[in-house]
Amino acid sequence: MLDWLAYVNERLDRLSLPESESLQVREELAAHLEDNYLSLRAQGLSESEAVRLTCEQVSSWQELRRDILAAKSEAFMRNRVSQLWIPGLITLFGSAALLAIFEIVGLRPLVLHPGDPSSLVLYFPWLFSLPLFGALGAYLSLRARAKGLAVYCAGAFPVLIMAAALLAVFLVALVLDRHGSLRIVTSAFAAAILNWILLPGFFLLLGDLLLHLATKRRTASN
Amino acid sequence: MIRTELKRGTAELAILSILEQQPLHGYEISRRIEQDSAGALRFTLAALYPLLYRMENRGWVRGAWGTSDNGRRRRCYKLLPRGRKMLAPLRAEWADLFRAMCCVAKVNHA
Repeated sequence: MLDWLAYVNERLDRLSLPESESLQVREELAAHLEDNYLSLRAQGLSESEAVRLTCEQVSSWQELRRDILAAKSEAFMRNRVSQLWIPGLITLFGSAALLAIFEIVGLRPLVLHPGDPSSLVLYFPWLFSLPLFGALGAYLSLRARAKGLAVYCAGAFPVLIMAAALLAVFLVALVLDRHGSLRIVTSAFAAAILNWILLPGFFLLLGDLLLHLATKRRTASN
Repeated sequence: MIRTELKRGTAELAILSILEQQPLHGYEISRRIEQDSAGALRFTLAALYPLLYRMENRGWVRGAWGTSDNGRRRRCYKLLPRGRKMLAPLRAEWADLFRAMCCVAKVNHA
């Protein structure tokens, strides 16, 4: 009898899925072909005829590969939206809206060296609210059955977006301001990283972590 | 587009209806559909598995590895509550479409 697993492996070797998942798919398809072949043999068909008819189950392996990947990636995209993008965007807009409200009501940040672009800016009321947003992002992500890194990324989403924006601004500044001082641009960039990424990131992840601990404790007590 | 969606909807209804009776592995699903439709509906491997994976990802069915009656390792699909919930609206949709086509095409249903 033909080795159906080897037959499938030859035709679906470049299935771009995690290895264990890819192996399961190939094993399952091989099992189907084997069952089909055995059924045809049991009906009295010759070996060559049974093999020929079984192979006709798939007219284009390339098309099958594409269809399987489309089916699998549909879930991947849907999970990515519900586990990362939606919780992340809620965290981002929530924290940004609160910052805007603080500005409107006149709460000013503590600027250690006013006028210095590399000064430390401490927006305490906003920073202290961030654990709530971090926890909210993590909660929404966990509720969508996310695991590991996705949960942390959802909670820390605002600083990830800020990091990407700052990096883009830094690169544009370097390109456009060729005659300016690299030292000033770099020190302002370093201050921005501290003020808008590291400090908020710490508070967001604190909320994320506290929620994780609370969830674990609740699970353990149940 | 309509043709693809229609075909997919029909196929999904057929698979869910078969799995409503009992959990089965892929080959058995295709065989049962062929048997129950007196050979009118045939699912090749290429048509069946992308659909099963899509339904599994939607939480309608769940596949789990086990050992079949003849001692071979097979992935068996079981209907989940979400899939069961889909059956009634799919059946109603199909019945409406069938009735409408019978009227339009002047088909006399025996």
